[in-house]
Amino acid sequence: MLSLLATKPSLHWLGKQLFNREDPAAFFDPLLERINPMWVRQYVPARVQAVVDETADTKTFILKPAARWGGFVAGQHVTIDVDIDGVRRTRTFSLSGAPAQWKNEGTVSLTIKRLTGGLATNWLHDNLASGDVIGMGEAFGDFRLPEADEPVLYVAGGSGVTPILSQLEAMAQRGYQAPVTLLYFVRTQADIIGAEKLHALRLNWPALTLRIIATNEGESPEYLKDTHFDDVPGVNARRCYLCGPKGLMDLAGELLAKRGIEEDRIHSTFFSVPTATLDGDSLGGEIHFSRSDIKVTSEGDAVLLETAEAAQLSPQHGCRMGLCHQCSCRKTSGTVVNRLTGRASGPGEETIQLCISVPRGPVSVDL
Amino acid sequence: MKQLTPEQLDNLEQDLNAIRDEVLADVGDRDARYIRRIIRLHRGLEVGGRALMPLGFIPPVFAAAVASLGLSKIIENMEIGHNVMHGQYDWMNDPALHSQTYEWDNTCTGDSWRRTHNYEHHTFTNIIGKDRDYGYALLRLSDDEKWKPAHSLQFINYVLLSVFFQWGVGLHELEFDRLRRGEIKISDKKQFLKEFFRKGGRQAFKDYVFFPIVTLPVAPVVLAGNVGANLIRNLWASSVIFCGHFTQDAETFTEEECDNGSKGQWYLRQLTGSSNFTGSKLMHMLSGHLSHQIEHHVFPDIPAHRYREISPKVQAVCKKYGIHYNTGSFARQYGTVVKRIVQYSLPDRLRLKLAPQTQAA
Repeated sequence: MLSLLATKPSLHWLGKQLFNREDPAAFFDPLLERINPMWVRQYVPARVQAVVDETADTKTFILKPAARWGGFVAGQHVTIDVDIDGVRRTRTFSLSGAPAQWKNEGTVSLTIKRLTGGLATNWLHDNLASGDVIGMGEAFGDFRLPEADEPVLYVAGGSGVTPILSQLEAMAQRGYQAPVTLLYFVRTQADIIGAEKLHALRLNWPALTLRIIATNEGESPEYLKDTHFDDVPGVNARRCYLCGPKGLMDLAGELLAKRGIEEDRIHSTFFSVPTATLDGDSLGGEIHFSRSDIKVTSEGDAVLLETAEAAQLSPQHGCRMGLCHQCSCRKTSGTVVNRLTGRASGPGEETIQLCISVPRGPVSVDL
Repeated sequence: MKQLTPEQLDNLEQDLNAIRDEVLADVGDRDARYIRRIIRLHRGLEVGGRALMPLGFIPPVFAAAVASLGLSKIIENMEIGHNVMHGQYDWMNDPALHSQTYEWDNTCTGDSWRRTHNYEHHTFTNIIGKDRDYGYALLRLSDDEKWKPAHSLQFINYVLLSVFFQWGVGLHELEFDRLRRGEIKISDKKQFLKEFFRKGGRQAFKDYVFFPIVTLPVAPVVLAGNVGANLIRNLWASSVIFCGHFTQDAETFTEEECDNGSKGQWYLRQLTGSSNFTGSKLMHMLSGHLSHQIEHHVFPDIPAHRYREISPKVQAVCKKYGIHYNTGSFARQYGTVVKRIVQYSLPDRLRLKLAPQTQAA
């Protein structure tokens, strides 16, 4: 019944009048959450069905989102919301299962590595258990499978394999005919994420060539080299997908470009905040948070969100990596540089994302 | 006004900052659980009150329903809305509790409140001529304002303001007194009025049209009950707020006195211009912890349920600098408010004859 309040325009209007909020259906959340946390309307609730150990520091959480969740295509990500010590934290993770899992069983998988010093990943590993309910956003991202079967090369590093696991599974299910090669870089054999799934795929799906490279097992560390690509048949005609640590992705992108593979055939996705190379000297400046009338100076490539928080402001925020737009806010004057793209904004009034905006010279923000 | 040397003001600032920093370092799960529990209580009371109201033709049920809905409005306005809009829970990063977007169950729009209350009142507290909350341009409460014959009837104004308090608060930004004096034009307030009518209309529609109509056979009962619930909230909110700044010992300031504008001086003004009242835990909660108006004015953006806990520390700071910490029972403080309204409704000569203690120092 509450879903009508969200979807039927006339009832939505009425609900806004009665409950003084833009999401009237969520008015009852504080009560419903006590009866059944899956009835919450403010976000899409998802119940943890199982937690599976992948490696010593990686777990797969199998979640059952409420039926209204919109589904996904292989390679996409979601944000999840968890309250840690009273603070809502939003983090982005790749969906590691195939879309068929959602269609058939109504569940999705998130494979999450424990990051050293990471607040959310450690909390998830230590606290999130079967039966718990967390918030989930809709899937997003354009790291997608080719529409027609064509040869594919994947280069993955560490937990960057997670969206690729989803894609490989989806390809195997669709009976993908063209050759697919995965170059998977891990520290040691014990760090392979989705080992069972990968081996099962290789057994049952002849198109897949799996090459796992343990970087830290030999005398000297083994990194991505051009010869790795030489071993991939018809590499220059392949569509390439990259996901992993920034160093690996940059290197792979460079080597592939040298081979003359066009830019639009190389797809990459991030699993940590990517940063464009910014010219450090010109960055920073006098920042005026106009609504709270606070003036601070920022130096270097500090983003406005961090500067605002350091000034004891608490702007609304989410992913902190430029994805979710929760922290969008009006810049009234000044130039900011987008940390993702390295591009500078215009000097006038416009909406910016605080979490990826680095001031260049004096900036005034309506905050 | 209590005078401190610039050095004392600096020390005062540091002492109070230390209290604030200590709280902020500790804010977390306990505060989140507290406000979520209060919100749950509010939802329960509102749903319960609205559900019971149609059965209000049975007198005890009517009383219970009105009390339930009235309490829900009190809790939502005082402990949730007012405090959330001050940014006390922004750190939780819950979009439903964000200071800049929260909209409360009151005819005053959240935006208007953030401007007139959070900014004007909290910045210029009790500065005559700058803090428009001081007497609401309706009541004469100090001899900074010249007596006029119209003031002799101000007690009636006070009663009316209390009865229709949410409408008074909603229209506060209209600055009716300045309009009357021709300092501003009605066209300056077009945008404000548009928003006021939208929000006021929404609130009136909900309580006085929608819920009575959907319970048509008993519409008069529901209408009466909703009027009653709003009245309870209006009287309580107005009384609490009046006790916060208009008690006998709450000081007022002139613009010249506040020229210096340092943070220490602002702190001093908050300490001497505000007043507390004592009471039970429930009483504190129902006042939105404005029973600790002094602590609230010194630290408007820390979670309000902390005010009770830090009160001894603030009192110790006051003692250190010889600042009067103005507190007393609700009855006593409210008594001095009523007395003040009556006293200043009289011409100065008569007032000084009847109450010579009101002679300005």
